Amino acid sequence: MTQGIIIAAFGAAICALLSGIGSAVGVQIAGQAAAGVTSDQPDLFGKVLVLQALPGTQGIYGFLMAVLILVQTGMISGAPHSISIMQGWAYFAAALPIAIVGLLSGIAQGKTAAAAIHMTGKDPDSSAKGITMTALVETYAILALLASILILFSIK
Amino acid sequence: MPIYLEDSINTSPSENKLSNEAQQASAMLKLSNKYHKKYYHKFLEDQPEINYETFLMENTKGKEICQQLQDYNEQYKTLELDIENCSKAVEELLPWEKMDIPLGQIEKSKYVEMSTVFFPETVIDDVVKIVEDANAQIQFFGNEKKEVSALIIQTKEEMPELQSKLKELGMREVILTKISCSASEKIEALRNKIQQDQKEIINIEQSIKNLSKDERDIKLLNEQYETKQSRENIKTIKTNETVLLQGWVCEDRIKKVEKAIAKSVQYYDLQFDKPTEEDQPPTVTRNPRFWSQFETITDMYSKPNPSELDPALVAGPWYWVIFGMMMGDVGYGVCMFFVFYFFRKLKKPKGNSAKLVNTLLYSSFTTILFGILFGSYFGETWHPILFAPLTNPMKMLIFTLIVGVLHIFSGMSIKIVEQFKSGHPWDAVFDQVSWMVLITGLGLLFLQTTRRAGAIMAIIGATIILCTAGRENKQIVKKITGGLLGLYSISSYLSDILSYSRILALSLATGVIGMVMNLLARMVSVNILGIIVALFIYLIGHTFNLAMSLLSAYVHDSRLQYIEFFNKFYEGGGIPFKPLSIKSKYVNVNTEENNKIER
Repeated sequence: MTQGIIIAAFGAAICALLSGIGSAVGVQIAGQAAAGVTSDQPDLFGKVLVLQALPGTQGIYGFLMAVLILVQTGMISGAPHSISIMQGWAYFAAALPIAIVGLLSGIAQGKTAAAAIHMTGKDPDSSAKGITMTALVETYAILALLASILILFSIK
Repeated sequence: MPIYLEDSINTSPSENKLSNEAQQASAMLKLSNKYHKKYYHKFLEDQPEINYETFLMENTKGKEICQQLQDYNEQYKTLELDIENCSKAVEELLPWEKMDIPLGQIEKSKYVEMSTVFFPETVIDDVVKIVEDANAQIQFFGNEKKEVSALIIQTKEEMPELQSKLKELGMREVILTKISCSASEKIEALRNKIQQDQKEIINIEQSIKNLSKDERDIKLLNEQYETKQSRENIKTIKTNETVLLQGWVCEDRIKKVEKAIAKSVQYYDLQFDKPTEEDQPPTVTRNPRFWSQFETITDMYSKPNPSELDPALVAGPWYWVIFGMMMGDVGYGVCMFFVFYFFRKLKKPKGNSAKLVNTLLYSSFTTILFGILFGSYFGETWHPILFAPLTNPMKMLIFTLIVGVLHIFSGMSIKIVEQFKSGHPWDAVFDQVSWMVLITGLGLLFLQTTRRAGAIMAIIGATIILCTAGRENKQIVKKITGGLLGLYSISSYLSDILSYSRILALSLATGVIGMVMNLLARMVSVNILGIIVALFIYLIGHTFNLAMSLLSAYVHDSRLQYIEFFNKFYEGGGIPFKPLSIKSKYVNVNTEENNKIER
């Protein structure tokens, strides 16, 4: 195992780690609001559940990126390619956008989702609008994921 | 003769009574639901069909059941209260259980006084001493919550003195209800009563359960009350002899409304007017079946206002295609098809939820199509026809951006049509065509062979925008700055187009998570036990991935329509047309009309 591989492994770890934390916190924030609304109006469970699930995607993106790094470096098949220290750092850099944006946008999206859930509690018909508002936050996580993927695939 | 509106509007007194009955019915429905536990069964249970005439008739059976339930419920509550009171009484008497004097005999006699008291258990020794000193008698009984119950007997004259001494030690006097039996007998009687009550409660619960089997009648009753209420809530203007009712009618149903009214009343006057300028008529959208299902997506944003084109015609097919690109997997497409097909078969959803289910059902076809093009089968890549997004992300990125440009252009084309229709063809050229030329030109710049043509187109487009974007302003300086500012909105066009890269991200997410599940399953399947675990991983992993991908695709596809697509042409703000109808939750009311509305 080369030093480059270890740096790349750190990259894979950090993106799953940070964006996972972001999503967990986001879903928790939204979940508290969802529980509050559901206790009052049990019929809305389905609608608020969708909203609560929205901040969960960052964690998936981070996990996705981690797997992609593992695939690209050959670690997942147990036979890592020989990777220089420079390349290792490049893999680490590829992990950073989705790691950091995933962490912060997951939390931010959780807050928006909580607000949208309250809105749904007051007016169940507006849940679709709430979903759209919440999804706007996710745009930046998607862009970060894209940046991560593009960096990853440009590593030669 | 003029009718003064304010005087003639009177709220009908029957309204309150009705809502009471309706409230009772809905409370009883909840009660019967509590006892009618068949959850998985309920999901599969199809809704009973009932025809319109029966729906209008008085539901005597439902009312009867409802009344019976109500009676049982009241008995139940009385019994519960009784049990509670009895248990409280038992608790109060428990400390005196061992005192075998009938409670009624504890009272003052000519020379002797008896007193029932509590002491803190820590002071018992002191109490005994004081009592002995005073030549009185004391008997201890129970010990409860760190207090000891006791009976003190003393001559009448000396009692107050003894009491004041004992009070310093923390004595607490209680006065027991005077009854002719001892505490233990009373407790026994109360306990018997509780047992009896409980038996009766079980009986009542059984009866409620039995009645709950006729849940359908209660549901029907609820629906009838609700329909009745929605009819009574219509604002009408009344005089002693007449009723004036105003409302919107779809143009193609005027005849039907006429017929219906002629059938139900003998003397009437009916008048249809076209909406005037001041009116705000509600919007009804009529689309071919395939397109009408996607109305659920556009309606969530806003109904189109009556003067504009229904966006569902264009947004629908785009939604369909983009959804397929985001999911892009044959295996998941097939799963979607079966899940939503059977959901539709079994649950027979109505209204908007039916449309949503259909939208997802239709989208399973594009999901399969793009799955074949991208060669993705449950996350495994196998002979892609176009390319596999996972190995060729750059190609996929360019593909998604081209789809984005076409999507946005189709939105701008609608705007062009609208501007031509409203007699502003030059606005269409300056504000829409110019941008389309510029964006196409910029796109062509990336290709070696078309670079020259692209440059020319970009320059032409930019020049038109620069010269015309400020045309509304009168001063020359403002015209120039207006043109520059207009050109600056290139950034918003670019960000709109880049936003379509989310299609790539979501398609990759679906594919990679599926791939990881397969990988995990393969890693554990080394022996028979491993293969069983692997099957679980396949099942749970792919179900989870399918659910999350569906949610993401639904949300982000909608967003692409709302934000990137609609802001090119769509205004919305229409009021939905909500005709007076039977909005049934539990039963399907069969009328010719209803079937047509639901389609």
